[in-house]
Amino acid sequence: MPDITHTNNNILVAENLVKHFPINLSGIFKKRWIIVKAVDGINFSVKQGECFGLVGESGSGKSTTAYMTVGMYEPTSGSLVFKRENIARPAVKRPMHLKKDIQIVFQDPGSSLNPMRNIQSILEMPLRVHNMIKKGHSIEKKVIDLLDRVELPSHYRFRSPITIGGGERQMVAIARALATDPSFIVLDEPTSALDVSVQGKIINRLIRLQKEFDLTYLFITHDLSLMRNVATKIAIMYLGKIVEIASTNEFFQKPLHPYTQMLLSSIPILFEEEAKLKPNKIHSIGEIPSPVDVPPGCSFNPRCPFKKDICLVEDPVMREIEPGHYARCHNV
Amino acid sequence: MMTERMFTSNAIENPWVRTLDSLKKTGYKFSRNWLSVLGLVMVVIIVFLAVFAPYVAPYPQHAGKFVDFKNKNQPPSWQHLMGTDTIGRDILSRIIFAFRNALLMAIVVLAISVPFGMLTGLTAGYYSGTWFDTVIMRVTDVFISIPPIILALSIAAMLKATLMNAMIAVTVSWWPWYTRITYSLASSIKNEYYVQAAELTGASKIYILFREILPNCSSSLLTKMALDVGWVTLVGAALSFVGLGEQPPKPALGTMIAEGVERMPAQWWIALFPALAIMFVVLGFNLFGDGIRDVLSPEEA
Amino acid sequence: MSETLLDIKNLHVWFKVYGGVLKVLNGVNFNVKFGEKVGLVGEAGCGKTTTMKALLRILPNLALIPEGDIFVRGKNILKLSSIELADLRGRGLSMIFQDPTSALNPVFTIGQQLYDIIKYSAGSSGQKVANKKNVALSALHEARLPDPERMLDSYPIQLSGGMRQRVCIAFAIATARDLLIADEPTTNLDVTIQDQVLRLIRDLVEKKGSSLILITHSLGLARETTERVYVMYAGNMIEMADTSLLFKKPLHPYTQGLLASVPRLSGGGFAEGIPGRIPDYRNPPPGCRFAPRCQYAFAPCTKAMPPLIDAGDGHQVACYLYQNGQEDRRNA
Repeated sequence: MPDITHTNNNILVAENLVKHFPINLSGIFKKRWIIVKAVDGINFSVKQGECFGLVGESGSGKSTTAYMTVGMYEPTSGSLVFKRENIARPAVKRPMHLKKDIQIVFQDPGSSLNPMRNIQSILEMPLRVHNMIKKGHSIEKKVIDLLDRVELPSHYRFRSPITIGGGERQMVAIARALATDPSFIVLDEPTSALDVSVQGKIINRLIRLQKEFDLTYLFITHDLSLMRNVATKIAIMYLGKIVEIASTNEFFQKPLHPYTQMLLSSIPILFEEEAKLKPNKIHSIGEIPSPVDVPPGCSFNPRCPFKKDICLVEDPVMREIEPGHYARCHNV
Repeated sequence: MMTERMFTSNAIENPWVRTLDSLKKTGYKFSRNWLSVLGLVMVVIIVFLAVFAPYVAPYPQHAGKFVDFKNKNQPPSWQHLMGTDTIGRDILSRIIFAFRNALLMAIVVLAISVPFGMLTGLTAGYYSGTWFDTVIMRVTDVFISIPPIILALSIAAMLKATLMNAMIAVTVSWWPWYTRITYSLASSIKNEYYVQAAELTGASKIYILFREILPNCSSSLLTKMALDVGWVTLVGAALSFVGLGEQPPKPALGTMIAEGVERMPAQWWIALFPALAIMFVVLGFNLFGDGIRDVLSPEEA
Repeated sequence: MSETLLDIKNLHVWFKVYGGVLKVLNGVNFNVKFGEKVGLVGEAGCGKTTTMKALLRILPNLALIPEGDIFVRGKNILKLSSIELADLRGRGLSMIFQDPTSALNPVFTIGQQLYDIIKYSAGSSGQKVANKKNVALSALHEARLPDPERMLDSYPIQLSGGMRQRVCIAFAIATARDLLIADEPTTNLDVTIQDQVLRLIRDLVEKKGSSLILITHSLGLARETTERVYVMYAGNMIEMADTSLLFKKPLHPYTQGLLASVPRLSGGGFAEGIPGRIPDYRNPPPGCRFAPRCQYAFAPCTKAMPPLIDAGDGHQVACYLYQNGQEDRRNA
């Protein structure tokens, strides 16, 4: 089990975290419920000042995990502890200081900013809610200061989000997250909807902001090349479970789990030198199963090129293969 | 993204500059469709006539107690552009004064039903899926099923038939539509990420309802309000046609038509002109409403 | 030029909007030979979708084409009537869009939609297509979809994203013979599925001998799938070369900036993106549209947009740095 003790500077600890969504498909005569096992028992810890990367494809549960951290969903079971406080409850039931301390930046800047308001009022909202403006200070100055932190010109506060580009909208979303002086920010694929040239700007800025304000990030993306340059520790999720977790360097030097290898080999490569860094080509086969219909045994077995008999029957346990490097697979 | 003009930093700090630019942009968006501009002109005419009726109508006294049997049933002429009715009153003047009553009714009805309907729909939509939503929406369903005319007749039977009672009847049957429209908008908007962001930061419910969700409903609501002025006028005319609402000798469009119907087709002008006036009001506000919708829809990049 | 399937010459496209005219395409030159796989790489807002829409003649009403020609198989399609155009579309060109969910009609089965396409593909020749079902089944089979018989009766909502995209590919290949345009076909798909879908497109195109235009903002995808690549910026093709050459030796400062911004799998970090924004199309810069953001800009750059200059080995670049061997300027 990864280190989930509450010491060693762990700011966020998840233990056996589970989120199931029951869906009622009952007809008039027949009762039927199905359960979407979005997150099915995960364990991880994030240290203060770290950038923890969560990688996965659709159905992996990475967004659900992020949303539970922020309070959009309530965990079905398991524990989630932030700075020694239990946060396994939805945001409405959380005290204000937690709402101030944990913030989120969503993936799509188009829908995370209200199109009918201007940026000034969007940025004012968290400031007012948490009474961040002392008497005698101007709220407008603080908004200008926030825009400055994300290197946007001050006259942007009069504009509405639709009139600025996607990258700039995302910067506003980041400014909004920073407004409450949080210590923990969840970044849900912050640059997936953006172009490469804008991505560079934003990510580099995020890294600088992290150092400047001593922030901790939970960074979600499906782009492993990006993760390589941003995260300090990486966890790969598949169908609601973590399959491998390790520090970034360890991870890329020696990917253990077959799914990790499959992911790495699917990345389109730009430069000759990089082709050598990829593991041998594992062509991905098959579709990702739906979290409603998880295959028995190891959930990856239908697509795994190395599967053995035991994989069809028994779900592997997370083991420490090398110091700090954990994987869930019968083959390692 | 491309449609915002690039100001120099200094100019845009000036709120007057911003207001002017925003007005200009509104004007541009509105004028894209010539029909909306036509609608605007028609609305301006109606409002002008209604407000300045005593000064604009050629024979203002005809709108009150007035008889002139010598001049009755005159066809349209230069003295009476729309002819005279069965007791000699100038139809044009009466129509102009009738606009006053029509607009007054529309304003009162909307002033009450819109806020009430909007509030109920907004809260029901935000809390959709709970008992609160169910209660409000079922009550709304009951009221929606009441036809305004039947209700007005019942009220008139119990109380007197006056303009006030007609307005009450129409209001009571009008607000549920605003509840419905706001409900469907609010229940889908509340799932947008920007609303989630506000909730997660801890904004109060009042804030979320009125500053995050409501502005996004404004386009539909304001458009519907503009169109409704026309429709309320129509319903009001239907009521006064059957004798409810404003009682004679005060002029009402429906009443005038009722008086003229018996005289068709010989004295066609007595019924026709009030009918055309109703059409003018409904059409004008409809076109104007289209323009409002174009102006208020968020810009596309 | 019997080898050339498509030849766009000096295409200008303008849009009428509030406050003026958006001069989006500024003299686009683009050609595709028979059986060739060409990539069109560019970021959001550069005009790549507009170019394709102009080619398919599905530009909105407020668009005008003040200058330029588009030749398909030698015929200038901007001058064709709508009947001739329908003929061309039915038999020659087809397109796969970015979002397979919105490209498929949710209320009809796959079979119904496929039959419609096959029926109308006969064009104005009015021939009935015998045995639509066989054609449909073979298209689905070629798209590597499991159980084609059952697929015909399925609705799009029952399929996963990757399968929907493969259905769209089946639609495209059922009738297309000459040219397949794929507009960001894998952007909305998971990484492991992206790999599968791209391989499918590549294999099918090679098997049928069709040409392929792959539009993408992902340089890596372009590198793996195409033979020749165009790089587009703000309404102009600013560089064109054989794929391997372009990535080994990018010449245009924009291309270089883009490549530098891509995160490296080796962990070497990545550049801060390219400073500045894309130009306002209402008031584009008078000379080279990239000049305001270019660190090497010099005198001729503000006078006129550079044409595509031949830099040897089939490598063309629209940059004054390469005129008369000015290349040393960069190293100065």
